[in-house]
Amino acid sequence: MIRFGPAAREMKSMSKEDIFPSRLKLLIIMSKAYLKDYPTGKYRKQAIIENARFVFYHSLKLSSDIATVKNDDSRTPPGTASSGDMQDEFIFYQRTQLLAVMAEALAEGRLEGQFRKKALQDNLNRICETLIFNFHIKDVNFLKVA
Amino acid sequence: MSQVNIPNVKIAVIDDDLLGRDFIVTVLMYCVNRDILSFDSGTAAWKYIKDHGSPDIIISGIDVPGLSGFELLSKFKKKYPEKKCLLMSADPAHEQSARDSGADAFLAKPVSVNDLFKVVETFVV
Repeated sequence: MIRFGPAAREMKSMSKEDIFPSRLKLLIIMSKAYLKDYPTGKYRKQAIIENARFVFYHSLKLSSDIATVKNDDSRTPPGTASSGDMQDEFIFYQRTQLLAVMAEALAEGRLEGQFRKKALQDNLNRICETLIFNFHIKDVNFLKVA
Repeated sequence: MSQVNIPNVKIAVIDDDLLGRDFIVTVLMYCVNRDILSFDSGTAAWKYIKDHGSPDIIISGIDVPGLSGFELLSKFKKKYPEKKCLLMSADPAHEQSARDSGADAFLAKPVSVNDLFKVVETFVV
């Protein structure tokens, strides 16, 4: 028997918190495959559209949650670490929404032309940079304590 | 590792967790560029198999309503020993039981995109 997936100690039911990053990763792979001229077919296009819609609506919800927190928490002075982080997160989810719109367009054959492809590539690069950066920051949280 | 090549592969996913099942279906549909069958219970999947014939691969949760993943595996392998049956669970204790029951693979939850890519690489292409 072949085994796939995380080690026994990391096993757990799949929650929205697991699904969103996985679907976002899949959307990045789908978009990169398109830019590399990998073939698409009827069901691949359908999968891209379904995935893009999930990422769009989930990103929309997350960014509106951030906007609500920002509006409620007017006591936090502008420029503090927490408001800066929140702004970065807000922009990140705006970018993931944009990626979802672009992915749906590419599946429907509406993302043609050099500059649209460049815009997709730039957006992908920014999202990937943020994901890598956040990953490192979370990993070194213990450095806050000397 | 068993390597097979199924040109027009038919895959069924059985899980009562809609969010997780839809995710798995999207990844597999994208990978194989084929429609993926989706069921929320072992009973519904088995009824489909009896009425319409067997998929090449079934990927079933273990704790699903009606027929459990183990019961579905047993019936499926008895009728179609050459077809593949993969069981998935969030419970580590199920891994050994899946092995003992004759599952072709065990998918530990949470299932990632890479895990599903590996499943396709192993059982489809």
